[in-house]
Amino acid sequence: MISLQGVSVKYRLIKEKKRSFQAHLINYFKGKRIQIQVLWALRDISLNLNKGESLGIIGHNGAGKSTLLKVVSGVIKPAGGIVKVNGKIAPLIELSAGFDPELTGRENIYLNASILGFSRKEIDKKYDSVVEFSELRDFIDTPLKNYSSGMIARLGFSIATEVDPDILIIDEVLAVGDAWFKEKSKERILEFRKKGVTTLFVSHNMEEIKSLCSKVLWLEHGKIKMLGDPESVISEYGKEVIRFSEA
Amino acid sequence: MQEIPLIISYKELLRNLVLRDIKKRYKRSALGFLWVMLDPLLMMLIFYIIFAGIFKRTIDNYTAYVMAGIIMWQLFSQGTKVASTAFIHNRDLINKLYLPKSIFPISNVASSLAHFIFALIPLFIIMIFSGTAISHNIVLLPFIVMLIFLFSIGISLTVSTLTVFFHDVIYIYEVLLMGWMYFSAIFYPVSILPEKLQFLMSLNPVYHYITLFRACLYDNTLPLTEHFVFGAVFALLSFSIGWVIYNKNKEKIIFYL
Repeated sequence: MISLQGVSVKYRLIKEKKRSFQAHLINYFKGKRIQIQVLWALRDISLNLNKGESLGIIGHNGAGKSTLLKVVSGVIKPAGGIVKVNGKIAPLIELSAGFDPELTGRENIYLNASILGFSRKEIDKKYDSVVEFSELRDFIDTPLKNYSSGMIARLGFSIATEVDPDILIIDEVLAVGDAWFKEKSKERILEFRKKGVTTLFVSHNMEEIKSLCSKVLWLEHGKIKMLGDPESVISEYGKEVIRFSEA
Repeated sequence: MQEIPLIISYKELLRNLVLRDIKKRYKRSALGFLWVMLDPLLMMLIFYIIFAGIFKRTIDNYTAYVMAGIIMWQLFSQGTKVASTAFIHNRDLINKLYLPKSIFPISNVASSLAHFIFALIPLFIIMIFSGTAISHNIVLLPFIVMLIFLFSIGISLTVSTLTVFFHDVIYIYEVLLMGWMYFSAIFYPVSILPEKLQFLMSLNPVYHYITLFRACLYDNTLPLTEHFVFGAVFALLSFSIGWVIYNKNKEKIIFYL
């Protein structure tokens, strides 16, 4: 279960980010405080997600979609508001982040799952089904640097979904991987919904959102523009996009 | 303090990070893991060739003296040096999912500790070959290692946190480490220093750890208690300062990475 109440996140953008003592000292003696521009990445977001619901998040680049995911996963502590999240979170993170190219597939499974907070015993238990789902058994003792990006994506998806999360966070990662694996992944996400896993899903692919989500959130400049059932939000969003391109 | 139980719950990650460090460092080299032992040996050889003529008469067991100094110094310096960029190097992960961030600098010090344990092998071989008798104080070794470990973690947390806000810290710390090494009585006796510097030496934590290490290994003439008190105070001080600096800034780190 996820509950956000009046959540706001503020980024402080330093104009010409010079992060050195020198610049700091010079500015200090000049009496010049570094110019800071405050950007509200999220503003007063309130939202409730029950167990088993899956929320699609749409909006333009920079609308705050990824920031919202970061707030839910606990990476960012919001400047204001209350965040309540119950359950184990598995983020489908970008491929480069949790993997090490020098290590083998097997070693990376252990590394990645421990990043998600699992103990060795738990990983031992899941190991076979992760390899099974990724269909990479023949390559499991090969260093990851010899994998294709599609293979890495498969491994990443398999780990994040085999670990039985309560909340799954997907940030535009289904874009990689071949069509067949994409289908397989979609099936698995739908299966999760039946099992009661809560899903947060950021994508620019409206078809995917429609087929996978029970609710859609449209963010614009960090605020909620619309929140509702997929059909109506997506059609409004589509109109806006057309209006935007005509203007 | 609430992060400590969290780190314990992530102990599998800590283990995997240390294993990765060890595996990666030697994966591409022909001699592989042997380098853990060769590295301090070769360094000892260099010091020996240059300085043995000067200091051999004032220092008993010169080879053991230098070797002990080197591996204790490396335990401290390598761990903290790598840790200075711990948050920057792991920014992708820190940006994407929640974990106790301090696990990264801590794992760097833990890797260094693992290296230290293997480097003990050539040290003991050298001691046996040079006919140096091992002291009964050796039973205290785990405590001394614990002290320098705690001290190093404190420094790592401080340096890695400051680095996020000022990248200059990486370079400052590197230079500082070099000066620190020459000032830690690794290959010379403290008695050659002028009195003023000798006093300053008593404020050098690493000097106390190195001396304690030598006292543990073979030198029964050293004042163990005095160095132990200094070492313990510095370890607690360093750890507390590092922990406070890290905790005061940990929520801000994400915005500066």
